[in-house]
Amino acid sequence: MIDSNNLESRIVEIYNLYYLDVYRFLVCFTGNQNDAEDLTQEVFIRVLKGLSNFNGNYQLKTWIFSIAKHVAIDHYRKKRFSSLFKDGFFNQLSSNEKRPDEEFEVTELKRFIHEAIAKLKPKYRAVVILRGINEFSINETSEILQCSASKVKVDYHRALKELERKLNIEIEGVLTNAK
Amino acid sequence: MQNEKDFFDMLKEMYPQHPRKEFVSATENTLRQRARSMGKKRILTKFSVITGGVLVCAFIFSWLLFFNENGKISEVIQSVGGTSSSSAMDEKEPVVYIYHSHNIESYIPEIPAQQMYREQAYSDTKNVTLVGKELSRALKGLQVPSIHDETDIAGILKQRGLHFPDSYKVSRENLQKVLAENDSIRMVFDIHRDSTKRRDSTIEIKGKDYARIKLEVSKTSGNYETNKKFATQLHEQLEKLYPGLSIGVVEKGVNPQNTYNQDLHDNSVLLEVGSIENTLEETYRTMDVFAQVLKAILEE
Repeated sequence: MIDSNNLESRIVEIYNLYYLDVYRFLVCFTGNQNDAEDLTQEVFIRVLKGLSNFNGNYQLKTWIFSIAKHVAIDHYRKKRFSSLFKDGFFNQLSSNEKRPDEEFEVTELKRFIHEAIAKLKPKYRAVVILRGINEFSINETSEILQCSASKVKVDYHRALKELERKLNIEIEGVLTNAK
Repeated sequence: MQNEKDFFDMLKEMYPQHPRKEFVSATENTLRQRARSMGKKRILTKFSVITGGVLVCAFIFSWLLFFNENGKISEVIQSVGGTSSSSAMDEKEPVVYIYHSHNIESYIPEIPAQQMYREQAYSDTKNVTLVGKELSRALKGLQVPSIHDETDIAGILKQRGLHFPDSYKVSRENLQKVLAENDSIRMVFDIHRDSTKRRDSTIEIKGKDYARIKLEVSKTSGNYETNKKFATQLHEQLEKLYPGLSIGVVEKGVNPQNTYNQDLHDNSVLLEVGSIENTLEETYRTMDVFAQVLKAILEE
Protein backbone atom coordinates (compact mmCIF):
# COMPACT_ATOMS: atom_id res chain seq x y z
CA MET A 1 0.00 0.00 0.00
CA ILE A 2 2.79 2.38 0.82
CA ASP A 3 5.67 3.09 -1.46
CA SER A 4 8.91 3.39 0.43
CA ASN A 5 9.68 6.65 -1.38
CA ASN A 6 6.65 8.48 -0.13
CA LEU A 7 6.68 6.95 3.35
CA GLU A 8 8.03 10.21 4.66
CA SER A 9 5.38 12.41 3.11
CA ARG A 10 2.70 9.94 4.11
CA ILE A 11 3.66 9.83 7.77
CA VAL A 12 3.95 13.61 7.89
CA GLU A 13 0.52 13.93 6.34
CA ILE A 14 -0.98 11.46 8.80
CA TYR A 15 0.78 13.14 11.69
CA ASN A 16 -0.52 16.57 10.79
CA LEU A 17 -4.04 15.23 10.36
CA TYR A 18 -4.26 13.41 13.64
CA TYR A 19 -1.71 14.68 16.16
CA LEU A 20 -4.15 17.04 17.83
CA ASP A 21 -6.82 14.37 18.33
CA VAL A 22 -4.28 11.93 19.65
CA TYR A 23 -2.75 14.53 21.94
CA ARG A 24 -6.16 15.44 23.37
CA PHE A 25 -6.91 11.83 24.11
CA LEU A 26 -3.58 11.43 25.84
CA VAL A 27 -3.66 14.66 27.78
CA CYS A 28 -7.00 13.68 29.28
CA PHE A 29 -5.78 10.17 29.89
CA THR A 30 -2.54 11.15 31.62
CA GLY A 31 -3.63 14.52 32.96
CA ASN A 32 -0.23 15.96 32.18
CA GLN A 33 1.00 17.90 29.15
CA ASN A 34 4.58 16.60 29.19
CA ASP A 35 3.52 12.98 29.36
CA ALA A 36 0.90 13.55 26.68
CA GLU A 37 3.47 15.05 24.33
CA ASP A 38 5.96 12.24 24.86
CA LEU A 39 3.28 9.66 24.33
CA THR A 40 1.94 11.40 21.23
CA GLN A 41 5.38 11.10 19.71
CA GLU A 42 5.53 7.45 20.73
CA VAL A 43 2.16 6.79 19.05
CA PHE A 44 3.26 8.23 15.72
CA ILE A 45 6.55 6.37 15.79
CA ARG A 46 4.54 3.18 16.21
CA VAL A 47 2.21 4.30 13.41
CA LEU A 48 5.22 4.79 11.15
CA LYS A 49 6.56 1.34 11.97
CA GLY A 50 3.20 -0.31 11.39
CA LEU A 51 2.20 1.66 8.33
CA SER A 52 3.50 -0.87 5.82
CA ASN A 53 1.49 -3.60 7.53
CA PHE A 54 -1.65 -1.52 7.86
CA ASN A 55 -4.12 -3.60 5.93
CA GLY A 56 -7.05 -1.31 5.38
CA ASN A 57 -9.36 -3.56 7.39
CA TYR A 58 -9.80 -0.62 9.70
CA GLN A 59 -10.24 3.04 9.17
CA LEU A 60 -6.91 4.78 9.53
CA LYS A 61 -8.15 6.94 12.38
CA THR A 62 -9.48 4.08 14.48
CA TRP A 63 -6.27 2.17 13.86
CA ILE A 64 -4.18 5.11 15.10
CA PHE A 65 -6.36 5.39 18.16
CA SER A 66 -6.06 1.71 18.95
CA ILE A 67 -2.31 2.32 19.02
CA ALA A 68 -2.81 5.39 21.19
CA LYS A 69 -4.86 3.32 23.62
CA HIS A 70 -2.08 0.73 23.87
CA VAL A 71 0.54 3.41 24.43
CA ALA A 72 -1.61 5.05 27.10
CA ILE A 73 -2.19 1.81 28.96
CA ASP A 74 1.47 0.80 28.77
CA HIS A 75 2.33 4.17 30.26
CA TYR A 76 -0.27 3.68 32.99
CA ARG A 77 1.25 0.34 33.96
CA LYS A 78 4.75 1.80 34.18
CA LYS A 79 3.54 4.72 36.20
CA ARG A 80 1.34 2.79 38.59
CA PHE A 81 4.31 1.44 40.46
CA SER A 82 5.84 4.82 41.25
CA SER A 83 2.49 6.46 41.99
CA LEU A 84 1.76 3.89 44.70
CA PHE A 85 4.04 5.89 46.93
CA LYS A 86 3.44 9.37 45.61
CA ASP A 87 -0.37 9.50 45.56
CA GLY A 88 -0.95 8.96 49.25
CA PHE A 89 1.57 11.61 50.14
CA PHE A 90 0.09 14.32 47.94
CA ASN A 91 -3.47 13.57 48.90
CA GLN A 92 -2.63 14.14 52.50
CA LEU A 93 -0.96 17.44 51.78
CA SER A 94 -3.68 18.93 49.60
CA SER A 95 -6.58 17.90 51.81
CA ASN A 96 -5.06 19.79 54.70
CA GLU A 97 -5.47 23.20 53.13
CA LYS A 98 -8.92 24.76 53.42
CA ARG A 99 -9.79 27.98 51.61
CA PRO A 100 -13.54 28.14 51.10
CA ASP A 101 -13.68 31.01 48.60
CA GLU A 102 -15.27 30.78 45.18
CA GLU A 103 -12.16 30.64 43.07
CA PHE A 104 -10.98 27.86 45.21
CA GLU A 105 -14.15 25.89 44.61
CA VAL A 106 -13.57 25.93 40.86
CA THR A 107 -9.99 24.81 41.10
CA GLU A 108 -10.99 22.33 43.74
CA LEU A 109 -13.68 20.91 41.46
CA LYS A 110 -11.08 20.59 38.73
CA ARG A 111 -8.82 18.76 41.05
CA PHE A 112 -11.63 16.37 41.91
CA ILE A 113 -12.34 15.72 38.26
CA HIS A 114 -8.69 15.16 37.64
CA GLU A 115 -8.48 12.73 40.50
CA ALA A 116 -11.71 10.97 39.65
CA ILE A 117 -10.49 10.42 36.08
CA ALA A 118 -7.05 9.38 37.26
CA LYS A 119 -8.51 6.81 39.64
CA LEU A 120 -10.76 5.33 37.00
CA LYS A 121 -9.66 1.94 35.70
CA PRO A 122 -7.72 2.51 32.49
CA LYS A 123 -10.20 0.66 30.31
CA TYR A 124 -13.03 2.82 31.64
CA ARG A 125 -10.88 5.90 31.28
CA ALA A 126 -10.20 5.10 27.63
CA VAL A 127 -13.86 4.57 26.82
CA VAL A 128 -14.94 7.78 28.56
CA ILE A 129 -12.36 9.89 26.77
CA LEU A 130 -12.88 8.31 23.36
CA ARG A 131 -16.64 8.83 23.55
CA GLY A 132 -16.75 12.09 25.49
CA ILE A 133 -13.71 14.03 24.34
CA ASN A 134 -12.79 12.58 20.96
CA GLU A 135 -16.47 12.06 20.14
CA PHE A 136 -16.07 8.70 18.45
CA SER A 137 -19.23 6.77 17.64
CA ILE A 138 -20.01 3.57 19.50
CA ASN A 139 -18.97 1.49 16.50
CA GLU A 140 -15.69 3.34 16.08
CA THR A 141 -14.94 3.02 19.77
CA SER A 142 -15.62 -0.70 19.63
CA GLU A 143 -13.19 -0.96 16.71
CA ILE A 144 -10.51 0.94 18.62
CA LEU A 145 -10.91 -1.05 21.80
CA GLN A 146 -11.51 -4.26 19.87
CA CYS A 147 -14.61 -5.25 21.70
CA SER A 148 -18.30 -5.38 20.86
CA ALA A 149 -20.47 -2.29 20.57
CA SER A 150 -22.60 -3.42 23.48
CA LYS A 151 -19.52 -3.70 25.71
CA VAL A 152 -18.65 -0.12 24.80
CA LYS A 153 -22.10 1.03 25.84
CA VAL A 154 -22.02 -0.88 29.11
CA ASP A 155 -18.48 0.22 29.99
CA TYR A 156 -19.25 3.82 29.14
CA HIS A 157 -22.26 3.94 31.42
CA ARG A 158 -20.50 2.15 34.24
CA ALA A 159 -17.58 4.53 33.91
CA LEU A 160 -19.83 7.57 34.06
CA LYS A 161 -21.60 6.19 37.13
CA GLU A 162 -18.28 5.48 38.77
CA LEU A 163 -17.12 9.03 38.03
CA GLU A 164 -20.30 10.50 39.38
CA ARG A 165 -19.97 8.45 42.53
CA LYS A 166 -16.38 9.48 43.08
CA LEU A 167 -17.13 13.14 42.47
CA ASN A 168 -20.10 13.13 44.83
CA ILE A 169 -18.03 11.61 47.60
CA GLU A 170 -15.28 14.17 47.20
CA ILE A 171 -17.60 17.14 46.92
CA GLU A 172 -19.50 16.09 50.03
CA GLY A 173 -16.17 15.68 51.76
CA VAL A 174 -15.25 19.30 51.02
CA LEU A 175 -18.59 20.61 52.15
CA THR A 176 -18.32 18.93 55.51
CA ASN A 177 -14.74 20.13 55.85
CA ALA A 178 -15.74 23.69 55.03
CA LYS A 179 -18.41 23.90 57.70
CA MET B 1 -22.15 17.88 38.33
CA GLN B 2 -25.12 18.83 36.08
CA ASN B 3 -24.69 16.25 33.39
CA GLU B 4 -22.24 14.52 31.08
CA LYS B 5 -21.82 17.49 28.81
CA ASP B 6 -20.81 19.88 31.57
CA PHE B 7 -18.43 17.33 32.84
CA PHE B 8 -16.71 16.85 29.50
CA ASP B 9 -16.57 20.59 28.83
CA MET B 10 -14.85 21.02 32.15
CA LEU B 11 -12.50 18.17 31.44
CA LYS B 12 -11.61 19.75 28.10
CA GLU B 13 -10.82 23.05 29.76
CA MET B 14 -8.72 21.50 32.45
CA TYR B 15 -5.73 20.53 30.39
CA PRO B 16 -3.87 22.52 27.74
CA GLN B 17 -5.75 21.63 24.58
CA HIS B 18 -2.78 22.15 22.30
CA PRO B 19 0.68 20.67 22.55
CA ARG B 20 3.52 23.19 22.49
CA LYS B 21 4.46 24.43 19.02
CA GLU B 22 8.10 23.39 19.44
CA PHE B 23 6.94 19.91 20.27
CA VAL B 24 4.77 19.67 17.16
CA SER B 25 7.54 20.64 14.77
CA ALA B 26 10.21 18.62 16.60
CA THR B 27 8.08 15.50 16.38
CA GLU B 28 7.44 16.08 12.71
CA ASN B 29 11.19 16.21 12.13
CA THR B 30 11.78 13.08 14.16
CA LEU B 31 9.19 11.25 12.08
CA ARG B 32 10.72 12.50 8.82
CA GLN B 33 14.14 11.24 9.83
CA ARG B 34 12.84 7.88 10.94
CA ALA B 35 10.81 7.47 7.74
CA ARG B 36 13.89 8.24 5.65
CA SER B 37 16.07 5.74 7.43
CA MET B 38 13.30 3.14 7.20
CA GLY B 39 13.01 3.78 3.45
CA LYS B 40 16.72 3.05 3.06
CA LYS B 41 16.44 -0.13 5.09
CA ARG B 42 13.50 -1.26 3.04
CA ILE B 43 15.34 -0.78 -0.24
CA LEU B 44 18.17 -2.82 1.20
CA THR B 45 15.88 -5.67 2.27
CA LYS B 46 14.10 -5.56 -1.09
CA PHE B 47 17.45 -5.83 -2.82
CA SER B 48 18.55 -8.75 -0.67
CA VAL B 49 15.24 -10.55 -1.21
CA ILE B 50 15.57 -10.18 -4.97
CA THR B 51 19.17 -11.37 -5.08
CA GLY B 52 18.21 -14.24 -2.76
CA GLY B 53 15.39 -15.20 -5.09
CA VAL B 54 17.66 -15.13 -8.12
CA LEU B 55 20.20 -17.33 -6.37
CA VAL B 56 17.58 -19.88 -5.36
CA CYS B 57 16.21 -19.99 -8.91
CA ALA B 58 19.69 -20.47 -10.33
CA PHE B 59 20.29 -23.25 -7.87
CA ILE B 60 17.05 -25.08 -8.70
CA PHE B 61 17.65 -24.66 -12.41
CA SER B 62 21.16 -26.10 -12.27
CA TRP B 63 19.97 -28.88 -10.02
CA LEU B 64 17.25 -29.80 -12.53
CA LEU B 65 19.71 -29.68 -15.43
CA PHE B 66 22.11 -31.86 -13.53
CA PHE B 67 19.52 -34.57 -12.90
CA ASN B 68 17.81 -34.15 -16.22
CA GLU B 69 18.41 -37.74 -17.32
CA ASN B 70 16.13 -38.87 -14.54
CA GLY B 71 12.60 -39.22 -15.98
CA LYS B 72 10.78 -38.05 -12.89
CA ILE B 73 12.64 -34.83 -12.74
CA SER B 74 11.98 -33.85 -16.31
CA GLU B 75 8.32 -34.02 -15.36
CA VAL B 76 9.08 -31.57 -12.60
CA ILE B 77 10.69 -29.27 -15.13
CA GLN B 78 7.57 -29.41 -17.25
CA SER B 79 5.34 -28.61 -14.37
CA VAL B 80 7.64 -25.81 -13.28
CA GLY B 81 7.54 -24.46 -16.84
CA GLY B 82 3.75 -24.78 -16.80
CA THR B 83 3.26 -22.83 -13.61
CA SER B 84 5.64 -20.13 -14.67
CA SER B 85 3.72 -19.55 -17.88
CA SER B 86 0.40 -19.38 -16.02
CA SER B 87 1.86 -16.99 -13.48
CA ALA B 88 2.92 -14.82 -16.40
CA MET B 89 -0.79 -14.64 -17.29
CA ASP B 90 -1.63 -13.64 -13.75
CA GLU B 91 0.88 -10.89 -13.85
CA LYS B 92 -1.20 -9.01 -16.37
CA GLU B 93 -2.58 -6.24 -14.28
CA PRO B 94 -6.26 -6.27 -13.35
CA VAL B 95 -8.37 -3.56 -14.99
CA VAL B 96 -11.82 -4.36 -13.60
CA TYR B 97 -12.81 -4.73 -9.95
CA ILE B 98 -16.07 -6.55 -9.19
CA TYR B 99 -17.56 -6.75 -5.72
CA HIS B 100 -20.85 -7.19 -3.89
CA SER B 101 -21.85 -4.93 -1.02
CA HIS B 102 -25.03 -6.98 -0.62
CA ASN B 103 -23.44 -10.32 -1.35
CA ILE B 104 -26.37 -12.48 -0.21
CA GLU B 105 -28.92 -10.97 -2.60
CA SER B 106 -30.35 -13.85 -4.55
CA TYR B 107 -32.99 -14.88 -7.07
CA ILE B 108 -36.25 -16.57 -6.03
CA PRO B 109 -36.20 -19.35 -8.68
CA GLU B 110 -32.80 -20.43 -7.34
CA ILE B 111 -33.88 -20.83 -3.71
CA PRO B 112 -35.76 -23.88 -2.41
CA ALA B 113 -39.12 -22.71 -1.05
CA GLN B 114 -38.39 -23.81 2.53
CA GLN B 115 -35.27 -21.65 2.66
CA MET B 116 -37.09 -18.47 1.76
CA TYR B 117 -36.61 -16.02 4.55
CA ARG B 118 -39.54 -13.71 5.09
CA GLU B 119 -40.26 -13.86 1.38
CA GLN B 120 -37.04 -12.05 0.70
CA ALA B 121 -34.60 -13.54 -1.71
CA TYR B 122 -31.36 -13.97 0.18
CA SER B 123 -29.01 -16.90 0.17
CA ASP B 124 -25.60 -17.60 1.63
CA THR B 125 -24.52 -19.70 -1.32
CA LYS B 126 -26.62 -19.16 -4.44
CA ASN B 127 -26.47 -15.42 -4.66
CA VAL B 128 -25.34 -12.43 -6.64
CA THR B 129 -21.68 -13.36 -6.06
CA LEU B 130 -22.14 -16.00 -8.77
CA VAL B 131 -23.17 -13.24 -11.19
CA GLY B 132 -19.92 -11.38 -10.50
CA LYS B 133 -18.02 -14.62 -10.91
CA GLU B 134 -19.56 -15.13 -14.33
CA LEU B 135 -18.62 -11.58 -15.36
CA SER B 136 -15.08 -12.16 -14.18
CA ARG B 137 -14.95 -15.46 -16.10
CA ALA B 138 -16.35 -13.88 -19.27
CA LEU B 139 -13.81 -11.05 -19.03
CA LYS B 140 -11.00 -13.54 -18.64
CA GLY B 141 -12.18 -15.23 -21.84
CA LEU B 142 -11.76 -11.88 -23.57
CA GLN B 143 -8.27 -11.40 -22.07
CA VAL B 144 -9.47 -8.70 -19.70
CA PRO B 145 -8.00 -9.42 -16.26
CA SER B 146 -10.23 -8.59 -13.35
CA ILE B 147 -10.42 -8.95 -9.59
CA HIS B 148 -13.58 -10.54 -8.26
CA ASP B 149 -14.04 -9.88 -4.57
CA GLU B 150 -16.07 -12.72 -3.05
CA THR B 151 -15.94 -11.39 0.50
CA ASP B 152 -18.95 -12.43 2.57
CA ILE B 153 -19.97 -8.92 3.59
CA ALA B 154 -23.13 -10.15 5.33
CA GLY B 155 -21.01 -12.51 7.41
CA ILE B 156 -18.67 -9.70 8.44
CA LEU B 157 -21.63 -7.51 9.40
CA LYS B 158 -22.90 -10.25 11.69
CA GLN B 159 -19.45 -10.80 13.17
CA ARG B 160 -18.96 -7.13 13.98
CA GLY B 161 -22.51 -6.57 15.15
CA LEU B 162 -23.24 -4.09 12.36
CA HIS B 163 -26.42 -3.63 10.38
CA PHE B 164 -27.38 -4.01 6.75
CA PRO B 165 -26.93 -0.29 5.88
CA ASP B 166 -23.28 -0.62 6.99
CA SER B 167 -22.61 -3.01 4.07
CA TYR B 168 -21.09 -0.22 2.03
CA LYS B 169 -18.69 0.70 4.81
CA VAL B 170 -17.47 -2.88 4.99
CA SER B 171 -17.15 -3.34 1.23
CA ARG B 172 -15.35 0.01 1.12
CA GLU B 173 -12.44 -1.42 3.10
CA ASN B 174 -11.47 -3.96 0.46
CA LEU B 175 -12.20 -1.53 -2.34
CA GLN B 176 -9.83 1.07 -0.87
CA LYS B 177 -7.16 -1.52 -0.39
CA VAL B 178 -7.46 -2.92 -3.91
CA LEU B 179 -7.43 0.55 -5.47
CA ALA B 180 -4.37 1.52 -3.46
CA GLU B 181 -2.53 -1.59 -4.52
CA ASN B 182 -3.61 -1.68 -8.16
CA ASP B 183 -3.57 1.60 -10.00
CA SER B 184 -4.31 -0.42 -13.13
CA ILE B 185 -8.01 -0.68 -12.17
CA ARG B 186 -10.07 1.25 -14.69
CA MET B 187 -13.60 0.16 -13.82
CA VAL B 188 -15.35 -0.68 -10.57
CA PHE B 189 -18.68 -2.51 -10.34
CA ASP B 190 -20.75 -3.25 -7.27
CA ILE B 191 -23.18 -5.91 -8.49
CA HIS B 192 -26.64 -6.18 -6.90
CA ARG B 193 -30.01 -7.57 -7.91
CA ASP B 194 -33.17 -5.52 -8.17
CA SER B 195 -36.57 -6.35 -6.70
CA THR B 196 -38.89 -5.31 -9.51
CA LYS B 197 -41.33 -7.48 -11.45
CA ARG B 198 -40.08 -10.01 -13.94
CA ARG B 199 -41.70 -8.28 -16.90
CA ASP B 200 -39.69 -5.14 -16.15
CA SER B 201 -36.39 -6.90 -15.56
CA THR B 202 -36.34 -9.38 -18.44
CA ILE B 203 -35.87 -9.01 -22.18
CA GLU B 204 -35.97 -11.55 -24.97
CA ILE B 205 -33.12 -11.43 -27.43
CA LYS B 206 -33.03 -13.93 -30.26
CA GLY B 207 -35.42 -16.28 -28.48
CA LYS B 208 -33.58 -16.23 -25.15
CA ASP B 209 -34.42 -14.41 -21.93
CA TYR B 210 -31.83 -12.01 -20.55
CA ALA B 211 -31.85 -10.25 -17.16
CA ARG B 212 -31.84 -6.49 -17.77
CA ILE B 213 -29.19 -4.22 -16.23
CA LYS B 214 -29.85 -1.04 -14.34
CA LEU B 215 -26.92 1.38 -13.91
CA GLU B 216 -27.08 3.31 -10.65
CA VAL B 217 -25.09 6.43 -9.84
CA SER B 218 -24.99 8.23 -6.51
CA LYS B 219 -25.84 11.93 -6.71
CA THR B 220 -24.03 12.59 -3.45
CA SER B 221 -20.66 10.95 -3.97
CA GLY B 222 -18.79 14.05 -5.09
CA ASN B 223 -17.84 12.09 -8.17
CA TYR B 224 -21.32 12.28 -9.59
CA GLU B 225 -20.48 13.94 -12.91
CA THR B 226 -17.71 11.52 -13.91
CA ASN B 227 -19.59 8.48 -12.60
CA LYS B 228 -22.61 9.50 -14.58
CA LYS B 229 -20.58 10.04 -17.72
CA PHE B 230 -19.18 6.53 -17.41
CA ALA B 231 -22.60 4.99 -16.71
CA THR B 232 -24.03 6.77 -19.73
CA GLN B 233 -21.19 5.47 -21.86
CA LEU B 234 -22.00 1.93 -20.70
CA HIS B 235 -25.68 2.44 -21.41
CA GLU B 236 -25.04 3.76 -24.90
CA GLN B 237 -22.68 0.92 -25.76
CA LEU B 238 -25.22 -1.63 -24.47
CA GLU B 239 -27.94 0.03 -26.52
CA LYS B 240 -25.78 -0.17 -29.61
CA LEU B 241 -25.09 -3.89 -29.24
CA TYR B 242 -28.22 -5.18 -27.46
CA PRO B 243 -31.02 -2.59 -27.52
CA GLY B 244 -33.26 -2.78 -24.45
CA LEU B 245 -30.88 -4.81 -22.31
CA SER B 246 -29.97 -1.76 -20.28
CA ILE B 247 -32.80 -0.16 -18.32
CA GLY B 248 -30.72 3.00 -18.20
CA VAL B 249 -28.87 5.23 -15.78
CA VAL B 250 -30.66 5.88 -12.49
CA GLU B 251 -29.57 8.54 -10.03
CA LYS B 252 -29.86 7.57 -6.38
CA GLY B 253 -28.16 8.01 -3.05
CA VAL B 254 -29.90 11.20 -1.93
CA ASN B 255 -32.38 9.85 0.59
CA PRO B 256 -31.04 7.91 2.37
CA GLN B 257 -27.75 9.56 1.61
CA ASN B 258 -25.23 7.06 0.22
CA THR B 259 -22.19 7.46 -1.98
CA TYR B 260 -22.11 3.72 -2.79
CA ASN B 261 -18.34 4.24 -2.48
CA GLN B 262 -18.40 5.88 -5.89
CA ASP B 263 -16.26 8.70 -4.56
CA LEU B 264 -13.32 6.29 -4.68
CA HIS B 265 -13.16 5.84 -8.45
CA ASP B 266 -14.19 7.83 -11.50
CA ASN B 267 -15.53 4.82 -13.36
CA SER B 268 -17.57 3.29 -10.60
CA VAL B 269 -21.17 2.15 -11.12
CA LEU B 270 -23.61 0.11 -9.07
CA LEU B 271 -25.24 -2.55 -11.25
CA GLU B 272 -28.61 -4.12 -10.60
CA VAL B 273 -28.51 -7.29 -12.68
CA GLY B 274 -32.03 -8.68 -13.07
CA SER B 275 -34.52 -8.82 -10.23
CA ILE B 276 -35.67 -11.34 -7.64
CA GLU B 277 -37.78 -13.06 -10.30
CA ASN B 278 -34.95 -13.79 -12.73
CA THR B 279 -32.85 -16.93 -12.86
CA LEU B 280 -29.09 -17.08 -12.52
CA GLU B 281 -28.85 -18.38 -16.07
CA GLU B 282 -30.52 -15.23 -17.37
CA THR B 283 -28.06 -13.09 -15.46
CA TYR B 284 -25.13 -15.14 -16.77
CA ARG B 285 -26.23 -14.44 -20.35
CA THR B 286 -26.33 -10.76 -19.54
CA MET B 287 -22.88 -10.86 -17.96
CA ASP B 288 -21.40 -12.53 -21.05
CA VAL B 289 -22.75 -9.68 -23.14
CA PHE B 290 -21.72 -7.06 -20.62
CA ALA B 291 -18.16 -8.36 -20.71
CA GLN B 292 -18.06 -7.70 -24.45
CA VAL B 293 -19.31 -4.18 -23.86
CA LEU B 294 -16.58 -3.56 -21.30
CA LYS B 295 -13.95 -4.93 -23.62
CA ALA B 296 -15.17 -2.58 -26.38
CA ILE B 297 -15.04 0.42 -24.06
CA LEU B 298 -11.59 -0.50 -22.77
CA GLU B 299 -10.29 -0.66 -26.31
CA GLU B 300 -11.66 2.72 -27.24
